[in-house]
Amino acid sequence: MPIKMFDGNGAAVEAIRLARPGVIAAYPITPQSSIAEHLADEVAEGKIKAEYVRVESEHSAMSVCVGAQLTGVRVATATASVGLALMHEVCGVTAGVRLPIVMPVVNRSLVAPWSLWCDHSDTMAERDTGWLQFYCANVQEILDLQLCAYRISEHEDVLTPSMVCFDGFYLSHSMQRVDTPTDEEAWDFVGPYVRKNMYIDTKDVMFVNDLCPTDEHTEMKYQQMMGFEAAREVVPQVFAEYGKRFGRKLYTVEKYMLDDAEIAVVAIGSMAGTGKYVVNELREKGIKAGLLRICMFRPFPEEEIREALKNIPVIGVVDRSSGLGGAQAPVCTEVKAALLGTDAKVFGFVGGIAGRDISDGSFRKIFGELEEIREGTRQKVTRWFDAREDAMTIREVETC
Amino acid sequence: MQKIKFYGIGGQGAVTAAKILSVAVSLHMNEYAVTIPAYGHERRGAPVYAHIIVDSEPVLLNCYVYEPDIVAVFDDNLLDMGVNIAEGCSGKAVLVLNSADPDKIARCKAMGCFEKIYVCDATGAAIANIGLNIPNSAMLGALAKTGVVTIEAVKAAVIESFGKRGEKNGNAAEYAYEHTEEA
Repeated sequence: MPIKMFDGNGAAVEAIRLARPGVIAAYPITPQSSIAEHLADEVAEGKIKAEYVRVESEHSAMSVCVGAQLTGVRVATATASVGLALMHEVCGVTAGVRLPIVMPVVNRSLVAPWSLWCDHSDTMAERDTGWLQFYCANVQEILDLQLCAYRISEHEDVLTPSMVCFDGFYLSHSMQRVDTPTDEEAWDFVGPYVRKNMYIDTKDVMFVNDLCPTDEHTEMKYQQMMGFEAAREVVPQVFAEYGKRFGRKLYTVEKYMLDDAEIAVVAIGSMAGTGKYVVNELREKGIKAGLLRICMFRPFPEEEIREALKNIPVIGVVDRSSGLGGAQAPVCTEVKAALLGTDAKVFGFVGGIAGRDISDGSFRKIFGELEEIREGTRQKVTRWFDAREDAMTIREVETC
Repeated sequence: MQKIKFYGIGGQGAVTAAKILSVAVSLHMNEYAVTIPAYGHERRGAPVYAHIIVDSEPVLLNCYVYEPDIVAVFDDNLLDMGVNIAEGCSGKAVLVLNSADPDKIARCKAMGCFEKIYVCDATGAAIANIGLNIPNSAMLGALAKTGVVTIEAVKAAVIESFGKRGEKNGNAAEYAYEHTEEA
């Protein structure tokens, strides 16, 4: 497979091209814009043989995608941040009518205050809308996970859409080498789209998303739940096949130096590499640190997480969204639930909000606090680990 | 591992230069790179930064560069725009400066934060070879003097990245490389 150079958005476009969509509807939004632009270029240049529908909003983009895919054609779109929020209603429709749409989402903070920069508040707000969610660690994984997501979502037992989430700027605009399958290799893996459930066909008319009475609605949700349960089986199978064909390992959860670890951090997204770098540093100093990266967040791999973190007494979970008002932020809430009944002390950390850098220094601080907890010299962690000390006085407004 | 920070002004192509540097080391030197642009509010004329990490191994770090080994300044006006180009540099860093102004070059030397300073009139090189005041290709040529990337790799990456203008940008890079001096 040739090495090509892509930034994260370019890798998403390449994966879409390789999957040969027939209809594309996307609305540009920072930091996703170059996906919408380059998809338009590729259609104009004939590299993707698709109908490109220029829509006036993300709500319309997903509506066009739903209508188009119901006719039996693979579609493509992509979004970020408030674009995803505007799509929210139709995201529920997509999942509920069991359309296996695969959508790259470039993670960017939700308003307010207005921001262009990375955090996970956009996709975490969608975590219960009935989509599978994968979070990428580097640009290579964007291509790999998206190609796999078509196979997973379109599997007849799953029929559930996927968000392939990757961090705005940290990945969307990072130019990296990407081992890229040829058109034929990718097509042989992804294959053509075959409609397997509800459809729109003038020769065979049916109701789709009509008013569902109470005595059937629970059962429709039960079917969706069973789709997620099936995904737990299908995802490892597809990852294994992908690994065999293309030589790269993909993970639902990635374990790094966990076997003998005494302290561990759970990370998600592009921050994980920086965390591993600090783990290596700590290991050289004799501190038994480890890291678990959650790659698949929906369905949540609680059994794998429980197994990976067993026997580790002190664990920190880093959320890149604030989880306002929650017992913990979203990732930590779920990790704690997965570890219920174990003796592990689990601490939630919140940071990297709206583009604040999660640096090697950030991980040194987090691991440092966890090590103090383990030694018994500290009781609590600094939950908002990178918040400024003057947080309560900046932008203070005096009322008159 | 080499940590590099680019300082530029919106419109000069510093972020594009970071991406081309990644192409140069990845495709033409078989190394690895991550590039993280730090966009502000997107407009021409505002300071922009790009963070690049280059290594012979896959790069784990995926965050900003706080203690750069190499600093490239695409415009010497940044010295008067409240940008501290020596941030995180404690005397070991190498500076690559686009300047033809002896006073500004002297100011950089007086900072005492750089072990070596390479100076190049990259803007002049760009105007002479491309006919545009966009010094990014020339700055990549000047950067090759530090040894982090070869001039051959820079030229190849520049030529394939700029399409129709590839040849001229390649010439700008080579011209700048040949006209970069240690200050």
